[in-house]
Amino acid sequence: MIGKFLLYIDPGSGSYLIQMIIAAVLGAAFFFKNLWWKFRSLFTRKKPPSQQNDNKNV
Amino acid sequence: MSEPVRHPSSYRDPAGFVFQVEGIYYRQINQSYAADYSLLMDSGLYGKLVEKGLLIAHQELPNHSLLPANAAEAYKTILPAQLGTISYSYEWSFEQLKDAALHTLEVLNISILHDMILKDATPFNIQFIQGKPVFIDTLSFEKYDPTLPWIAYRQFCECFLFPLYLEHYCGIEQRKIQMAYPDGISAGLTARLLPWRTRLNFGTLLHVHLQNSIKAGSKERKAAFSRQKLLNIVQHLESVIRGLHTNSASHSVWNDYYQKAILSQDYLREKRKLFRDYLDGLSFRTTLDIGANDGYFSQILSERKDVSVLAIDADTICIDRLYRMAREKNIPNILPLCIEILHPSPAIGFRNRERASFHDRARAELVVALAVIHHLVLSGNIPLNDMAGYMSELTTSLLIIEFVPLEDPKAQELIRNKSSYHLPYDTHSFEQYFLSYFSIEKKTRVPNTERILYLMKKK
Repeated sequence: MIGKFLLYIDPGSGSYLIQMIIAAVLGAAFFFKNLWWKFRSLFTRKKPPSQQNDNKNV
Repeated sequence: MSEPVRHPSSYRDPAGFVFQVEGIYYRQINQSYAADYSLLMDSGLYGKLVEKGLLIAHQELPNHSLLPANAAEAYKTILPAQLGTISYSYEWSFEQLKDAALHTLEVLNISILHDMILKDATPFNIQFIQGKPVFIDTLSFEKYDPTLPWIAYRQFCECFLFPLYLEHYCGIEQRKIQMAYPDGISAGLTARLLPWRTRLNFGTLLHVHLQNSIKAGSKERKAAFSRQKLLNIVQHLESVIRGLHTNSASHSVWNDYYQKAILSQDYLREKRKLFRDYLDGLSFRTTLDIGANDGYFSQILSERKDVSVLAIDADTICIDRLYRMAREKNIPNILPLCIEILHPSPAIGFRNRERASFHDRARAELVVALAVIHHLVLSGNIPLNDMAGYMSELTTSLLIIEFVPLEDPKAQELIRNKSSYHLPYDTHSFEQYFLSYFSIEKKTRVPNTERILYLMKKK
């Protein structure tokens, strides 16, 4: 348990791996979401919601 | 000038520490943090965060005259804006913790865009100032390496996301678990406490159950990470947290206290009138409202813009509502906290000095205790004499207290099935006990009730 007290110095193994998996899953989710909206836009006039990160304006 | 004293909670980060001289708090920045500090200031990140009210402002002191013993390590000394009452996440309601979590993510997001990142993510880095969360640890920022994930991701989950998940899925009373795990609730424990259906939810599956299945010590695989990947995770965490809520409309012990009228609307109206009369002519800057409920009287106190109101109640839902109401109405000078006066937060952490007890943080020039004394004495079995002594410890000057005698229907409810409670409990004894510590300045019976409102001054 001592590792917990040094958490911000040593994030502990496993933390990086999980973020890589989550990033991959989110990447795939965004990809399929975009694909779905493109597919939908063939049949409807509705525009897809912005997938862009607005934070660039921050 | 007195000797500088290092703050007992400021020992974890080798980058520097907070110390105090004659009641003013300073922060020493060590040589090891010099490069990151320069980047914080020169990249425009500090200016941006302070401009948006997200980070505490500070000024650099021109010389090292104030430095404590280990001056050799010192790079700079800064004087941050001074804080009012310190509060901890285990005293915050759900919405307060949620706002603090979103605040941390916003600071992180802006930092990443300025090529910096947060090296830790604990609620102890956040304080509520003027009704809003503010990041107070100037030394949490470090240079961002886009090839790496976020070093504090797990800490963020354990300290913010998991407690919020627990309150969302298992009930708002799960707040109390944070006191047992001030350094965060592990994924393993969270996974065991959450209902099975959370395995079918995208967010909980990824952040709790999947994280739990990857044990510490698992072989790290080196793979390329990127800024966009990290921003995606941050964005996802933000949307997950925004979607969490508790059912504040659900029933709680007190949350319909005023709505269902304690005695009657007339009673409340009369008491409000008396309360305002008592306040007229009183001079105070800090006030503590004990048993604030949904903040009916805290709001009256907050009408004085130069007064800070600490509103406490054992009922988390009441405090959650009061926080939301103050946020919506933009009332900056009420700090609502979930504190049960019979079990206030103890001193915890290293040497029992890292996080101060509520009692040590709760001094106020005016203490308000309306319709609480019968709960403390008749239900809580606190002897009336001890109650008088305790009130005199909490206030530095004034006390407005309402005595609810045994004949009162609500007092009767409390003792209906109770065989023993401390006696004497009557107006005369109440006054005698309190006169040991206070002088009675005003005394008025609330019309059409047996209840008496007192204005007292500490001897």
